[in-house]
Amino acid sequence: MTEPEGAKFIAAKMAPSVDRMVPLLVALLFLCLGAEAVDRSNFKTCEQSSFCKRQRELKPGQSPYRALLDTLELSDSRITLQLINDNNKVRLLLELYRLQGNMTRVKINELKPLKPRYEVPDVLITDPPTEPMTLVAQDENGLVLSLGVDEQRVIVSARPFRLDIVEGPTVLLSLNSRGLLTFEHLRLRKDTISHKITSTVGSMWDSIKSVFSSKHDADTEDGGGSENAEQAEDEDEQAVKEEEDKPGMWEETFKTHSDSKPNGPSSISLDFSFPGVDHVYGIPEHADTLKLKNTDGGDPYRLYNLDVFQYELHNLMALYGAVPVIISHNTQRTMGIFWLNAAETWVDISSSTAGKTVFGKMMDFVQGSNEAPQTDVRWISESGIIDVFVMLGPKPNDVFAQYASLTGTQAFPSLSMLGYHQCRWNYNDQEDVKAVDEGFDEHDIPYDFIWLDIEHTDGKRYFTWDPNKFAQPKEMLQGLMDKRRKMVAIVDPHIKVDSGYKIHNEIRSKNFYVKTKDGADYEGWCWPGNSGYPDFTNPEMRAWWASQFAYDQYKGSMENLYTWNDMNEPSVFNGPEVTMHKDALHGSWEHRDVHNIYGLYVQRATFEGLIQRSGGIERPFVLSRAFFAGSQRYGAIWTGDNAAEWGHLKISIPMCLSLGLVGISFCGADVGGFFKHPSTELLVRWYQAGAYQPFFRTHAHLDTPRREPWLFGPDNTALIREAIRQRYALLPLWYQLFYNAYRTGQPVMRALWVEYPKEPATFAIEDEYLLGKDLLVHPVTDEGAKGVTAYLPGKGEVWYDVHTFQKHKGAQNLYIPVTMSSIPVFQRGGSIISRKNRVRRSSVCMETDPYTLYVALSPQGTAEGEIYIDDFHTFNFEKEKQFIHRRLHFSDNALSSSNLAPDSNFSTAAWIEKVIILGASQPNSISLTAADGTKSAVEFEFDSAASVLTLRKPGVNAGADWTVLLQ
Amino acid sequence: MELLFQLILAFLLFSECFIETKKIRGVSMSYRRLYRERKSFLCMDGSRLIPFSQVNDDYCDCADGSDEPGGLISVSGTAACHNGRFYCMNLGFRPHYIPSSRVNDGICDCCDGSDEFASRMQCSNKCRMLGQKERRELEERMKAVNEGLLLKKELIEEGALIWQEKQTQLSQLQKMSEDLRIKVADYRKRKLRAEAEKERLEKAVKPDHNSVGDQSQWLGVVPRGSRTRVDKDKPSVIHGKEQEEKTEIQQGQNDPVRTPPHENPDKLPPVIRAAQGAVDSAVAELQKVEEAYDTVQMEIRELKEKLDIDYGPEREFVFLLSRCVQMAVSEYTYTLCPFSQVTQKNNLGSEVMLGKWGGWLGRSDSPYRQMKYDEGEACWQGPKRSTVVSLVCGTETDLKSVKEPSKCLYTMELQTPAACSLNTQQRSVHSEL
Repeated sequence: MTEPEGAKFIAAKMAPSVDRMVPLLVALLFLCLGAEAVDRSNFKTCEQSSFCKRQRELKPGQSPYRALLDTLELSDSRITLQLINDNNKVRLLLELYRLQGNMTRVKINELKPLKPRYEVPDVLITDPPTEPMTLVAQDENGLVLSLGVDEQRVIVSARPFRLDIVEGPTVLLSLNSRGLLTFEHLRLRKDTISHKITSTVGSMWDSIKSVFSSKHDADTEDGGGSENAEQAEDEDEQAVKEEEDKPGMWEETFKTHSDSKPNGPSSISLDFSFPGVDHVYGIPEHADTLKLKNTDGGDPYRLYNLDVFQYELHNLMALYGAVPVIISHNTQRTMGIFWLNAAETWVDISSSTAGKTVFGKMMDFVQGSNEAPQTDVRWISESGIIDVFVMLGPKPNDVFAQYASLTGTQAFPSLSMLGYHQCRWNYNDQEDVKAVDEGFDEHDIPYDFIWLDIEHTDGKRYFTWDPNKFAQPKEMLQGLMDKRRKMVAIVDPHIKVDSGYKIHNEIRSKNFYVKTKDGADYEGWCWPGNSGYPDFTNPEMRAWWASQFAYDQYKGSMENLYTWNDMNEPSVFNGPEVTMHKDALHGSWEHRDVHNIYGLYVQRATFEGLIQRSGGIERPFVLSRAFFAGSQRYGAIWTGDNAAEWGHLKISIPMCLSLGLVGISFCGADVGGFFKHPSTELLVRWYQAGAYQPFFRTHAHLDTPRREPWLFGPDNTALIREAIRQRYALLPLWYQLFYNAYRTGQPVMRALWVEYPKEPATFAIEDEYLLGKDLLVHPVTDEGAKGVTAYLPGKGEVWYDVHTFQKHKGAQNLYIPVTMSSIPVFQRGGSIISRKNRVRRSSVCMETDPYTLYVALSPQGTAEGEIYIDDFHTFNFEKEKQFIHRRLHFSDNALSSSNLAPDSNFSTAAWIEKVIILGASQPNSISLTAADGTKSAVEFEFDSAASVLTLRKPGVNAGADWTVLLQ
Repeated sequence: MELLFQLILAFLLFSECFIETKKIRGVSMSYRRLYRERKSFLCMDGSRLIPFSQVNDDYCDCADGSDEPGGLISVSGTAACHNGRFYCMNLGFRPHYIPSSRVNDGICDCCDGSDEFASRMQCSNKCRMLGQKERRELEERMKAVNEGLLLKKELIEEGALIWQEKQTQLSQLQKMSEDLRIKVADYRKRKLRAEAEKERLEKAVKPDHNSVGDQSQWLGVVPRGSRTRVDKDKPSVIHGKEQEEKTEIQQGQNDPVRTPPHENPDKLPPVIRAAQGAVDSAVAELQKVEEAYDTVQMEIRELKEKLDIDYGPEREFVFLLSRCVQMAVSEYTYTLCPFSQVTQKNNLGSEVMLGKWGGWLGRSDSPYRQMKYDEGEACWQGPKRSTVVSLVCGTETDLKSVKEPSKCLYTMELQTPAACSLNTQQRSVHSEL
């Protein structure tokens, strides 16, 4: 939930009440009136962010950095080399690592910083294992290092400094090829007069300083525009050698907020060139296209976790989360750059033609056509160091595996978390929860989770319950448990400052709050009013927070209660850009350094708490709004406070696809749209689309009318029921895909180009996608649509409409007429997908139900797929190897199930009730050979018009070996 | 109807080859004969003929799900058909159908536990207990309905009195209105006479009344209806007076505010002063009568509106006209004045209107189940407040609950004997079946 500063607070505060027109609030209403869309002026442009402005003023091709080749140190696992800035003589230390799995790490820090610079901890799952590098050649112009495989080399050029990673004759990637490496070294504040009066009385200096700092304010307030003459004169008086201070280096003001910047300028920047590339993806979160846009002439993409009220579509403004990973792709190769930095970051993307920036003689021979495209990417961060992981692919799945080896994979959810979630701000009381729960049974619609937003608490004190509305939470939870359903309650990371509130008192007494620059507990406004913000970067704080989820601490909680962390950007209603002041302190680090990782730590601490409360047995579930690289390890992410508009439905696809590319597979958008009231058509279409997205939850703003699925007439109830049932029938696929994501880092919801990397027609597609590699989904996202045009990829491949079993050729645009009940979905020829067609009240009720296998034959008459089964909710699959993972394979008229994990150990009651073979021809007879060798006949039916063969009740156990032979 | 036909057909086709019935689950007695074991089974929709061994074998063969009604031979689940139904026998309670997806799903749905015959769930038989409980409740409800029906009679009588009273009130008002209309006309004449008299005297006393100064004295204070006097030339004064009369009659109802021309009374001769006094009092009296007339008209309008409302076939809801009911929920007090409005007052005393009477909402078969109150005060960034009042049978007339399921949309439950009917008596039994 988001509102403009203060406004949502009002709405929320009044939410339980019936009369909201309290006069004292009227004065604040102007904040919201006419708030049809985001108020852009609340958020900085690059021009208003002084480091971004400074960095962007630099022009390419004038790099002052030079590699000092004589400082080279080469060990088995790394080389180090000093760089010098010829303008100011400040030296940097370059570290270069060859990492296992075809990655190269480049680290640049000051050789001797005044004080340590922040290096982001806790994102990498291990210290990445290295591989040896060897020096191949060296002269006064540079060095050549071998990366060990595929003739891959790193070429280090000395003047100006530049790195090129090449494979054979091809340049894969260049660093600082445009000379935009910048490293603002830490320095002492050298206000003009300070040097002259260092020996005079301190108090005198203080008074002078204050005069100056106020002048500085004035400069920045007038828009950070051109320096005035007066200041230019002042700066002329400075020592010649020293760099001039620029506005905003030591203090910056945005709107009414002042950033004190005691450490002065500290920003960093580096550029990368991808020859031969014109498609780049990633760097979520932005409400924009899948393929990243050229940012020339506009603002760069911004990565700075922010609570943006009513965000706008097709806009590069920052949103709730940030993953600083960009992925490049062309038909030859897919690569990635992971810029490990948690400070405010801007990313410029420009396209050019290769050749322009290709450098001297050493690389002359690599030049091909001058017409080849090239994409240049420039990263700018406010503080920290340069720590870059170059993931060299070459295939999309290699990049995903490489990134997963660094930051981990998607947390494996329990099955029920992949079911349908019913949420609203707010279900009013226990009776309301019960009535909604019963409504699902009455209308025979499955669901797994019902959610409670902030109003369930006692005055927005998280970990508590409203004593009137939720007086007996355990009774409520038990009622849900009896129906094998679950609940999620919100726990936000802002803590009401209230001496009667235990959580607050403990955090205060343990000194766990974030501090202001002056050392007091940092306080800001959020839902409860004045709030403190626990320092989640502190491991002791996180351990304490986790302990609060224990059943004896969190009163009223039970094992079927899970958690939702909202507002963890963090959202501070009265803070700069609705977030925390950058000079607030997390221990010795400034908020500036850690901002983008704060939300990850909140979700992590909660995740760990949920694991601990069950003694490490049960898989937790935590939904978070803010995220960072590595957040995939801790649960699900949703796209925040969207709106009930067709555009928002459409954008949910590229937004989740972008997250999937950078490791976060468990993504969803609020079905129906959070703000505003959807038309019935939009709501139905959104259910149909959401049923095929990983995290499937409806949510609605407090001010909107109720929208439970049965409130729109029987026809629409039936349409929504059918969409949700399709979701439940496909849960075996979802579960297997998430297991795969957990094991390998491959996204669940995939852009088409990921599976068809050599098919340029797929490169910019964002209105359809693949689930795994076998199911193509093209949801209807247009009002009044009579049809959609889907691109079916793959020359020589075939696709089967999952509803009609009609077969279509690949590599074509297919027009599909649609009605309100249509959800265009296609299964790839060559795949086997298992479903559970007995849809029940909740996923838990379906655990031992039988499977139906959908075998879609390729033109070659083959197909394969997988099936994964475990207890669906504990870690025993991992700890005890209690799971079934089987390969299903069809060729030569035989369908067989074989064990992919012979050392695993699990038994299931589930069996195979039906096999449907698409694109089949009629057999004379079908025989089944069981694991023990016994043979039996299988009854079948053949629909010759549709070429569909249905095997009746093979009846074999889903965990057994078996073969079915068509004769 | 079609289903029934199919059933009969199926029955006729296979009644000859019945063998002994095995124990079957999930089928009601009336359908059970259709599932007697025989060679083959015709799906109830007539779509397929399947071997009888495929009935209840945990695989869905019939498109209508009729081959998998419950457990027969196999001990595994019978949720095979997504559209199947399972019949809970529920001896001691009421039998009913559940969707077959609830068979063996680990949740006890039938009170006899028969739906979980092959799951790990141990369901105890709660039918007897539920039956007793329900009978008890039913008895209580019947008692309440009967009591309510008696009370309803009283309320109808009470309503009839009110209705009568209102009718009487209406005819009284109408009579009063007629009287007043005559009075208005009468008083208007009196006023004109007084004015004419005064004018006559003025002419007599002040022949030189045409002087500029004199005329200017009239300017600015002339009543609207007298303007013609100023606009017209001297010779047409008489004519002007006629016009004035007409205008005044036309405007009489809408324009009671008329100020007669005044002159400094001290300067005036006593006769004129007296005449002026007569005019003044005539105007004042006319004004009073006109106001009374307007008030009565308004009351008639309102009363007619009230009497036009549909109060049910026996005018059983009329009595509610005289009852406002209240309920306190946390810091708010809600007041429903039926057929009028709903308000909410917080404990600081500020009041918000949650809707004005907007008609009945019920369906055609039960038109008096719900009342709508809409066009209440608008919410911040939201809709205008509105309230739906559901009427339920009860022995008292008061509010049972007040809720706000969506922001600014309220629901209330009003219990009253007036909502009791023999129908509700039947319904209360029926809805459970």
